[in-house]
Amino acid sequence: MKSKLIPLAIALVGILCVASSFFIPSSSSGELEVAIEKSAFIMPAVHRVYANPDALNGKYYLFKAKITNKSDQTLEDVTVKYRIPDYIDWTELTVSGQMFPGQTLVIPCYPKFKDNITEKTTESFEKAQIEITWDGAEEDDIIEEEFGFKITNRNEYVYTGVKTEEISTWSDMYDNDALISCFVTPNDPVVKYYTQNLQEKLMKGEAASVSRKPEDGVRFLKNIYEATRKSHMVYSGTKGIPQSTEDIQSIVQQIRLPREVITGNTGLCIELSCFYASVLSAAGIDPIIYMVPGHAYPGFKMNGQYYAIEATAINGEGLGGIGSVEEAFKKGAENLQEFIQRSQSGDPRYSMVDIHAMNQQGATAMDLKDNDFMRRKVDAIVASWDGSQPVKEPIQKQPTRRPNNANDIVIPDTTIKTTNALSFAIPTGWQTMMRPVPQVPILTAQVVAPDQMTTASIYDIPVANVHQAMSTINQYFSSFGMQAQYQINGNAISGQTYSSDGSVFNWVGKAISVPNGIRIVAIGAPDYMYNQNAALINQIYNSIR
Amino acid sequence: MKTIKTLFFSIFLLNVCLAFAQQSKQNIEMKVDNIGNAKVTVSMSMNASQWQQWNATFGNNPSALKREIERSMPAFFVDDFKFEKDDMNRSFTLSLNAYGACKIDKRSKWIMNTDQKDAQLTELTNHKYMLVSSPPEYGGTLQQTFIIEFPEAAHDIKTNKDAYGKSTFEFKMDNPSTSINYMRWSGFLLIVIGGSWFGKNAMNGK
Repeated sequence: MKSKLIPLAIALVGILCVASSFFIPSSSSGELEVAIEKSAFIMPAVHRVYANPDALNGKYYLFKAKITNKSDQTLEDVTVKYRIPDYIDWTELTVSGQMFPGQTLVIPCYPKFKDNITEKTTESFEKAQIEITWDGAEEDDIIEEEFGFKITNRNEYVYTGVKTEEISTWSDMYDNDALISCFVTPNDPVVKYYTQNLQEKLMKGEAASVSRKPEDGVRFLKNIYEATRKSHMVYSGTKGIPQSTEDIQSIVQQIRLPREVITGNTGLCIELSCFYASVLSAAGIDPIIYMVPGHAYPGFKMNGQYYAIEATAINGEGLGGIGSVEEAFKKGAENLQEFIQRSQSGDPRYSMVDIHAMNQQGATAMDLKDNDFMRRKVDAIVASWDGSQPVKEPIQKQPTRRPNNANDIVIPDTTIKTTNALSFAIPTGWQTMMRPVPQVPILTAQVVAPDQMTTASIYDIPVANVHQAMSTINQYFSSFGMQAQYQINGNAISGQTYSSDGSVFNWVGKAISVPNGIRIVAIGAPDYMYNQNAALINQIYNSIR
Repeated sequence: MKTIKTLFFSIFLLNVCLAFAQQSKQNIEMKVDNIGNAKVTVSMSMNASQWQQWNATFGNNPSALKREIERSMPAFFVDDFKFEKDDMNRSFTLSLNAYGACKIDKRSKWIMNTDQKDAQLTELTNHKYMLVSSPPEYGGTLQQTFIIEFPEAAHDIKTNKDAYGKSTFEFKMDNPSTSINYMRWSGFLLIVIGGSWFGKNAMNGK
C-alpha cells in the first residue's frame, strides 16, 4: 500500500504544480534595468528649449531613461511618468503596449515648466521622480527612481553643459552659445515699449525693416547707442564665476535681462549685447551677437552684410569718459574687422550668434510679463532724451572685407561698391565665405544662398585676359574632377561645369580687368534647380557692376 | 523626436561640397532585430578635398566622433562603436548599436519613425525597404540612401504618417522568446515520475 501511496503523492504534487502554474504568474518584480542620463542643471531662461524635443536637435533634455526588460516575461502597458515636486505634476512620458524580454525603451524627457519659472530669482536644488509601472505590477514591483539637479535663477547663464572630462576645445567650453538667444527678449512688453519710444521720440520715425537698406539699419543701431548715452547708461560688471555642478564645471554668468538693463540703466558687454539684440529684433532687424574671447558686442546683418557697434563705449564718468556714437561705431568696425579675419582663419574663439536663426531652431525667448513700474522707468528714461537731436546719416561705412590684401574683395550691399572691380548685390540671408577652398587660391569668395545650392563665386586670377582666366579656372577644376565649358561674349561669360559624378552646374558671369589680373564673378545653380532660380540669378547678374 | 538619420548629417562636414555644389553619397544600413534595437552601419566615400576636411574634424579623432554621435542622438542610447577608415580609397565605415530604434505603441503595434515628411520609401523585399533622402541642412549636396531591414519575425509592415505628417513604419512582431514556466514543467516531470513509479509497482504487484 505504501509503495503505491508515495508515487501517487508525487504525481499529485505534480498535478498541483501544473494546475497552479496557470494561476500563479511568474515573478517579474525588479526585472527592469533602468539607466538614467540626466542634466545637471536647468536654466529657467531656457525653459522653452527644454520643452521642445525639436529645439536645437533635442539636445537639451532633463533626463534620458534606458529601460531594459531583463525578465523572461512580456510586460503589458509599461508606463513611464515623472514629476518635479513644486514644478511639474505627475506627467506620463510614454506607454508601451508591450515590452518583450530583452527589449529596451529609450525615453527622453523634455519638461514643460510653467511660464512663471522665469520669475525665479534664486537657485535651488530639486528632485525629479520617475515611476515605471506595468499591468499586474504589485506595489513592490513598481520601480521608482529619483535624481537631483539644480534649477538656476532666471538670470544665470551656464556657458557649457559638457562634462569636464569631455572638454577638449574652446567650443566645448562655450557649448551653450546658442542659448544666449533665449536672453534676447524682443517680445517683452517693456522692451517693446522702449523700442517704440526710441522709434518715435528719438528717431522721429525709422523704416530699416521695411526698406532693408543697410544705412537705415546702421542709423537704428547708432540711435540705440545714442539713447543709452543720453540716458547716461553706464557699463558695470555682474557676477561671473566658475561653478561646479556634479561633473560639469563652467563659468556661470549672471545676465541682467534687457528689461533690467533698460530700467537699471547699466549693463555688462553680454547684457548690452542682449539688450541691443532685443531692440533690433523688436524693430524687425536681424540681430547678431559677436562672441570673442572675454567680450561680446552686438550688431546686425542686412542683405548679407554684417555690422557692429561697441556698445560698452558708454563706459561712464567713473570709467574714463563716454564715447561718442561715432567712436562706438568706429570701434565696432575695428572689432568686426578683427572678427572677420580671425573667424576666416578658423579661430573657433570667434563665433557669432545669429539670433533669428537660433529662434528658428527653437531657441526662443523666455516669457516675461508686463510691468507697470518698469514702464514708468522707461518713461523717465525717455524723458531724458528730450531736447536731443537724433543721429542722422550719412554715416561711415564699415569694412566687411579682408584688410590690405592684394586679392582684396568687397562683398558689398547695393550701395557699397568697390571702385575698380566687380561687385554685386547680395540678397538677404545669403552667406559669404571668404577663401572657402584653400586649395583653390584664385577663388576669393563664395556667397551661398539659403538653399545652399545657388552660389555666387568671385575669382581673382593673375592673368592678362579672360580666356587665360577661364583656362586657369579649368585647371583648378580638373584637380577636383570637374570641367567647365563656357562661351565668352565681351565681358559676359556663361557656361556649365561638369562634375565627375555627373552633376552639372549652370552659371553666368562677368569679367573685368583689375590691377592684378582678371576678376570673374559667376552666379549659378545645379542644372536641375537653375530654371526655378533663374529670376534670382538674373537679378544678381544684372546687379553686377 | 530625432531619429537615427539626424545623426549622420552632423558627422559629415561638407564645406567643400557647398563650395562646388558637388553631391556626395552616404549609405546607411539599419538592421532591426526582433526586440526593436538596430545595428547601424554607415559607409561613405569622399573626394580628396572632403576627405582632408573630414579628417581634420572627426576622421582622425574617433572619440570626438563618438561623442558627437552620442550628443546628437538624444532619442537613443548607442554603443558598440566600430570605426574603420580606408585612407587609400578615402572612405570609412562606422557601425554602432542603437537601442530603442523601434517602439511598441499603446495598441501593441511596433513603430519606427523616419523623421521625414513624405519619405520616398521603396519596398525591396517583404522585410527590406529603401529610403533616399537629401537633407535640407545640406541643400541637397548630400544624398543618403537608407536600407532598413526588419527581422523575419516582423509582419504586416506598413508605412503610415504620424500626427506631424512624418512617415513611419508600422508592423507586428511576436514575442521572440517564450518564457519557461518552471512550475508547470516541474509538475509535468513529477507526474511522469510518480506515474511511472506507480505503474511499475502496480505491474510488480506490490
